[in-house]
Amino acid sequence: MKILIADDSRVMRQIVVRTLRQAGFGDHELIEAADGQQAFDMAKSENPDLVLSDWNMPGMTGIEVLRQLRAAGNDIKFGFVTSESTPEMKDQADAAGALFFIVKPFSAERFDEVFAPILG
Amino acid sequence: MSVEVEVNENDLAEMVEQVWESYLDPEGISPLIPTYDENQPSEVHSSVSITGSWTGHIVYASSTSAARRAAAAFLAMEMDEVSEEDLSDVLGELANIVGGNVKAMLPPGALLSLPQVVLAPETTARFPHSERISGVYGVWDGEPVSISMWQSRGDNKEGAE
Repeated sequence: MKILIADDSRVMRQIVVRTLRQAGFGDHELIEAADGQQAFDMAKSENPDLVLSDWNMPGMTGIEVLRQLRAAGNDIKFGFVTSESTPEMKDQADAAGALFFIVKPFSAERFDEVFAPILG
Repeated sequence: MSVEVEVNENDLAEMVEQVWESYLDPEGISPLIPTYDENQPSEVHSSVSITGSWTGHIVYASSTSAARRAAAAFLAMEMDEVSEEDLSDVLGELANIVGGNVKAMLPPGALLSLPQVVLAPETTARFPHSERISGVYGVWDGEPVSISMWQSRGDNKEGAE
């Protein structure tokens, strides 16, 4: 499977990659986007199986990426990995069709719990 | 209008502990040891601003050595391999994580800014019309680290100098 990791923080992308490996998902193909626009473009051009996106990114936020993908008829599996988590954000994510909402700081156990059912 | 903040020192300490457990000290051998010294020195700092239902700043400050150590832990590298860019990025991420967690405890309608990093002491920072309302101050492997919350005094400039 191909997994797209979208986060404007290079550090956080690296930590997400490492945590995916620690949780046993290192064999999947991992690709990265450094902002929302790039995530949107890569979600279309690279056709990943799953997108893990930050919420707060310059230019285009994660929720905007998800909404625009859905508006374009793209129903790729998409979820958030973010330091921000409020009930209204979770509601917006659910309404837009997000599969999961992981809050930073996160553990490999949390990744396993969320991604095992999705990635098998 | 800012509301009375509902995030206290214990909440902040809990968030900080989670950051240590998840990233900075996953093996639990080098925790942040409280000093309760809000005047402890720093050499670098990062901050995020929150506006809306509460308005203020979350500031992470430490010695350069502690920042280098944090970057090495975050990026799984040796301390002497850490570049200035690594150090800045990790400082920004630390403020972002704590800020995001603080935001989650605030009433609806708060916005979080992208992080700002300054490779200079926290004392050089200027947060106009703001006062420090709480903080976690400690040493990590003998080096100073602090995380503090600064609340703006309100939109009506009341209390401003």
